[in-house]
Formats: sequence, structure tokens, C-alpha cells
Amino acid sequence: VGYSILEILKEKYQKESKVIMAQKIANKNKGGNAMEEKRLATHLRDRPAQLEEAKKNGIKIIGYFPGNYVPEEIIYASGSVPLCLIHGGSSGPADAALSVVPHIICPFARAQIGERLLKKTPYYNMLDMFVAPITCQHLKKVAEVWEFYGDLKIFKLGIPQLSSGFVLEYYSDRLRALKDRLQAFTGNEITNEKIGEAIDLYNKMRELLKKISLIRRSSPSQISALDFIKLNHASFYADPAFMVDVLDSIYSKLKARQPPAQTNAPRILLIGPNLGYGDYRVLEIVKEAGGEIVTEEICEGIRYYWNNIENTGDLFQSLTRGYLVDRVPCAFMRDSARKRLDFALKLVKEFNASGIIWYELLCCETYDSESYYFAEKMGERNIPMLILESDYSIADTGQLRTRIEAFIEIVKGGNV
Amino acid sequence: MIELLRLCGFGAQEIESELPRIEKAFGRLGITAEDIERGKQRLNKYYDIELKGVRKVFRLLMWEVIESVMARDDGKTKIVNGFMAPGTSIIGCALMSKSKEVFSAHHGWAFMPIVGCIFGKIVPVLEAAEKKWLKAGAVSHCSNVKTYVGMTALNMIPKPDLLMSSGFLCETAPKTLDLLHELYDISVFNCFTCQDREFGEYLDGSKRAINLAATSTRSLTERIREVVGFEITDDMLWEALNAKKKLDDAIRKLRDLIANSDPLPIGPAHENLLFCVNNLTMSIDRMPVAVDAINTLYEELQERVDKGIGVVEKGAPRVLCILPPGGTDPILEHLASEVGIAMVATDNRFLLPDVIESEDPYVVMSLHLLSSMANSPSKRIPLIIDVCKELNVVGVFDRYHVGCRTVAGDAMMIKKAVEKELGIPVLLLEWENFDPRTYNHEEFRRRLEVFKMMMIKKSA
Repeated sequence: VGYSILEILKEKYQKESKVIMAQKIANKNKGGNAMEEKRLATHLRDRPAQLEEAKKNGIKIIGYFPGNYVPEEIIYASGSVPLCLIHGGSSGPADAALSVVPHIICPFARAQIGERLLKKTPYYNMLDMFVAPITCQHLKKVAEVWEFYGDLKIFKLGIPQLSSGFVLEYYSDRLRALKDRLQAFTGNEITNEKIGEAIDLYNKMRELLKKISLIRRSSPSQISALDFIKLNHASFYADPAFMVDVLDSIYSKLKARQPPAQTNAPRILLIGPNLGYGDYRVLEIVKEAGGEIVTEEICEGIRYYWNNIENTGDLFQSLTRGYLVDRVPCAFMRDSARKRLDFALKLVKEFNASGIIWYELLCCETYDSESYYFAEKMGERNIPMLILESDYSIADTGQLRTRIEAFIEIVKGGNV
Repeated sequence: MIELLRLCGFGAQEIESELPRIEKAFGRLGITAEDIERGKQRLNKYYDIELKGVRKVFRLLMWEVIESVMARDDGKTKIVNGFMAPGTSIIGCALMSKSKEVFSAHHGWAFMPIVGCIFGKIVPVLEAAEKKWLKAGAVSHCSNVKTYVGMTALNMIPKPDLLMSSGFLCETAPKTLDLLHELYDISVFNCFTCQDREFGEYLDGSKRAINLAATSTRSLTERIREVVGFEITDDMLWEALNAKKKLDDAIRKLRDLIANSDPLPIGPAHENLLFCVNNLTMSIDRMPVAVDAINTLYEELQERVDKGIGVVEKGAPRVLCILPPGGTDPILEHLASEVGIAMVATDNRFLLPDVIESEDPYVVMSLHLLSSMANSPSKRIPLIIDVCKELNVVGVFDRYHVGCRTVAGDAMMIKKAVEKELGIPVLLLEWENFDPRTYNHEEFRRRLEVFKMMMIKKSA
């Protein structure tokens, strides 16, 4: 009996030591990034005022939507500030838009309309012009609403829903038309040199995000999903040069970090159409339920960082390749299901994920259709997959929590 | 069965010779004796089936359904189908006119009025699709698209050698094609364009969008050539376009007669029949049969107009409807007539005035992009307002198709603009044009009655 008690005490001591050690490492690691977090938070706090000041000095603020089909490089090269509108996750703005569009427009798209109506988020009402990528019907409708009510200059950037053949020239031409429009609007010439400089800058940003993302392959990850996504979101509003500096610093510190203590948290791949700035509920619940999201395949809301833009030759063709061809297509694109499935499977393998959470927004018809296909194909491979949908209402938080907790248990326990 | 076929314009000799084939086709569609009885009742209740022209139209629709189901049995070696692909019925016409071995159809436009409107049996088809990727519920998938998936899942139609669709209006149809390819191994092709026309550069933007659609459609015919083994020449397409133009003209003339008559000479449920016939895929040989059906109906309605006969009383409030009528059930249009509202026209038949002329048949096939619903609100709404003035309507009824983000998304903007500009009431009613389960009789009746009162009060 005495021997057993000793064993139990030893085991208990070891467990407690592990917890204390993990806490110590976490605190130390946290301290390492605290300075950068503070720098970024201060920058984002002051950013609206900086932009207002810039506007007074004649600099144009050019908005666009996420999804990675609008090359920021062209906007940046025009001497304007590219600003990706990415707020989402809150029912207030989405509901406010119901006076303009019906409920079948997805909550993210409605939130964009609502933000401009409510005038609470400064970025939304400081725009001089807006580049609307014509991707899905939801975001297209937002651009149409703004165009119809005439309170914002709109450039509609047609996104061919194929990534090969004759459509590439169409997209290149539309990018050239965007360049012409921006030149006329800002009075600044957009030279190849300026576009090249912008490509370099954004390539650095993508490169750093990719490096940070790849760090998450280690188990457990050095940076939480929430922190990574917040960084990503910050990159849409922050000054790009400043953001590169912050990312560089964060990456260096993450590299130097001690690996955190092992946990048994299931590693999860998050897939979905959209993750807005503030739409963090699922990420938080997964963490609270003991899971760990280790990578994401999100169309709108995550800057696409897997590929860089080639900075040689005809730059408009380079941008076309980078933004349309050499990337994983969103679900609204033609022939995308198989390509997206292959990419998801690659992520599962590379990030050693043991389950998938499919988080879609209500009324997103292409992702909803694809969820069936993915569930079937993942099922064939015994990869558990949970499909969640949200209209940003907090009313379903309890239900989400129950479903996520049950899913994490299933993944932990292996396949049923 | 024989009586039903007579109601649908079949002659005695034709019934005798074709009955076994029709019975076989009905069997595959799951049409029972009970359904046939219901079909007869619904034909008599909802349609002016005493009009020869209406019967002739039903005959055309019935033929396309039977031929679609029996295509392989009929010895067709190649089947090229379309769904949600405006303009491609011309290619189908060219194909079937060139070769008797090829069959082409745009199923929904015949299948929905026959299986849905006549037999009232569309729900099992929709449910079959909902068990696949087009689930029921708040996501609101388009039931027009569900119909094709349901038909495929239930093996109602033979597997095509090529299935074509387009993304002119939405992403649901192309995504469905993508999944039909992945999960059912069906060869597919998507035509497409970019909906990036801006208000300020509308004509240039339209030319750009139409040229892109034309180029895309040209690559479709390349693909079809690989499937059917012969080339589709521009001459073949012009022949089809010219034949189709006669039908377009006849339908336009008929619609003008209906829209400008008081009392309304025929119920608005029939507008769906015109819409469907206009979108059928017919060989050049069959086109005159369709023209004859429409002209017959025109003559019959002209007679009613001359005699002052109508389906609602003279002076009933005249309304413009937004979007085509119910595609799988005529009940809402029937209700509107019962309430005493004259639904004189739908906006989708009107084109924007900027005419683009071209010698390229592919450009002509893509001109549907000038129609009301293919345009953004900045152009669509002024068009609707002009049509309201032209038709002298006292209200607008926007029964918006909840499964379509493109058209439904404009509803509130249309209401605000029309009320502000014209001072006439606009009724917004959310429903699904292709799903009778969304019909709510009591609610809809009350809303239409109040709408009618508002129009009378405003006009007084």
C-alpha cells in the first residue's frame, strides 16, 4: 500500500511540476511579445486619427474587401492608403443593414453596410473611394448598395471565377483600369517602380505571416490561433511598413522561445468563408474546450500568405498570377471544390491536425454546398469534421459551446 | 391519362401512337394515376385550359419533358443539357437541328411547369436535393438549382454527356455543377461573365461583360464539338437565332396585348408558361409549332379583349411584378386574380435601352445581360420606374425569390425608390419562386388584400 501511495504522490508532483513549468514558460513567452503587442495596440488605437490627418494632407484612403482578390500593391503605389474593411462578428451592424437588404445577404456583408450606417467604426466612414471585388453575390450587393445610394465612389473589380485561360487577360485589364482610375483620382502617377516597391513590401508581410504560421506546426503551438488571427487582422488596418516591422520582431521572438510544455489538446484545422475582425467566438470556445486551432483556410479575413508575388517582368501579369492563379481558390470560384479539398488535406498533414471545424456564415451558399462535399470526403478518410454556422447572434453561443465541446471530446477519444 | 393529354393539347392520333412512351416516361417520373387526377383538376383550376393556345403551349412543355426522360431510349447518343444557362438554348437548337442523334434540353423550364404546376409533385424532387448539398433551412438555397440536383439524385433523367451552366446571376449553379462533376462524374462546363458594370460607365461595362460572356460561350461550343463530334458554325447559330426571333416577336406581341388590356384578358399564372416556352430548347423544325401556339393564344385573347372579357374586373388595380411568376406552382398568381389585382407584366422581360448591335452570334446570345435582373440596382431600378410609367401601373409587387441573392438583394432598394419617385405602393413579399412550401395562403391573401386597398386609396 505504501508503495502505491508513493507512486501516486510522485505522479501528482510530476503533474503539478508540469503545470507550473508550463505556466512559467507561458509567462516568459508572453513577456517576450508584450512589447510588440503594446506597440501594435497603440498603433491601431492611433491609426484612425493618423488617417484623418493624412486625409487633410491630401492622401486618399481607398477601401476594399477581404478575400485577397484586390492587389493592395496598386493602391499603395498610388500614394493612397489601402484599407481592408474587415469588421464582423457583431450582430449590431449586421442587423442595422436589414433596413437596406434582406436577411439572405450574409452577416459579414450586412455588417459592412451596417458599419457605414451606424458610423461607429471610424475606418468605414473615412473612405475616399472603394474597390469592390466582384466575387460572391453578397459582397457584390454591398458595392451595389453603396453605388445606388451614391455616397461612395466605387470601382468594381471583376474577378473572373476561373483561374486559367482567356480570363486572365480580363483580370489583368481590370487591374490596369484600376491603375488608371487611381491615377486620375489621386493625381499621382503609378509607375512600375512604385508597384515594384509595394510588391516588395507586401511580399515581406506575407513572408513573415507565413513563417509565423509555420511555427504553429510544432505541438503545442508557440502562438495561439486567436493571437495569429488578430495579427492577421491588424495587418489590414495598420500601416504596412509598421506591420512588417512588428511581424519581424514577433517572428524573431517566437523563434527564440522555449517550446511550451506538451498538452493533449487536439489540433484542429479551421475552414470557412470568412472570419471578421471581432468574430472570435468560435476561436475562444475551441480554446476553452481544450482544443487548439493550428491553422486556417479562410477566404475572407485571413491575408493569403502562402505565395508571394513575383516582382519581375510585366507586373500586372505577376499580380494576376499571384492573386488569381497561384493560390487556393475560394469556394465561389469555378472548379474549386477539389482544389480546396486537396489543400485542406495538405494542411491537415503538414500541421498534424486531427479534426476540422468548418465555420460558415449563414446564407453563404457556396461554402454551405461545399461543406457537404468536404464532410463526405473527410469522412472517407476518418477525419472528424464539425460544421458550424453563424449569423453573428449571441443567442446560439450555448449551442455552439456544447457542439464544440462534444467535438473536441470525440477528436480526443479518437474515431468512433 | 388520355383526358390529361387532351387537356395538354395532344390529338387523338398522337395519343394513340405515343401513349406507351408517355406512360413509360411518367413511370420514371413517379407520376401515378392519383397524380394524373390531381393534374387534371389543377389544369382546370389554374389555367384557361379552354383556350387552344394554352393547350398548345402545354403540349410543347410536355414534349420536352417526355423527350428528356426518354432521350436514351429514343436512341440519342449524345445529350447536352443546360440549367441556369441563359442563351444556351440557341446552341441546343443548333445541335438538334444538325443531328438527330443529339438531344439538348434546359430541363427546368419544362420540368417545373409539368411536374410542379400540373401534378403538384415538385416537393419530393426538392427534398431529394436537400438530402445532398442544397440543404433546407435558413441558408435558402435556390430551388431552381435544387430541381436539377433532385432530378439527378432520383434518376429521373439520363446522365448527360455534358452539362452546362452559367454564373451570369449567381454562384449556386456553378458550385452545383462543380459538385455534380465531383460526386456524380458528370462532365460540366460553366459559361460566365463578370458583373462589374458600373453606373458611370454602363455602356462600356455592358460591352465588356457581354464580350466576356460571348468569348466564354464560344469556348463552350468548342467543348461541345469534342462531345458531339461536329462543329457548331456561326451560320448554324444564326439560323437558330433567326428561328427563335420569330418566337420572341410573337411572345412580345402577346405580352404587350396582355399588359395593355383592361380588363386583364388572362390570369398571370400563364406568364410562367410564356417564360418557359421562351426558354425551351427546340429544334428549328419545332420552332414554328411554338410560334403557332403563341399566335393562337394571341388571337384568342384579342377576341376576349374585343369582347371586354377579363379574369379580373375592369379597372382592377394594375401592378407590375418583379421577377417571373411561381415556377413550380401557380397558386400565388391565382390568388392575386382572386383578390382582384391585375398583374399586367413582369420586369424581367424588359431590356435596358442601350442597344448593342453585333454580327457575332455569340454576342447576340449574350444580350440577356441587358435584362432587368442581370443589372445592378443603379440601372435596374430606373428601368423598373420607366416600365411602371409606360404601363401606367398603380403598384409594384415584388415577390422576391429568396433563393437568389442577386435579385432578392435589390428588393428594399426597389421599394424605397419606386415609392419615392412614383408615390405608388410597393408590396414586398418574400418567397421562393420554385418552392411551393413557402406559400402561406392566409398571410399572402391578407397582404394582397391590404395592398389592393392601398392602391385603390392612392389612385382615388
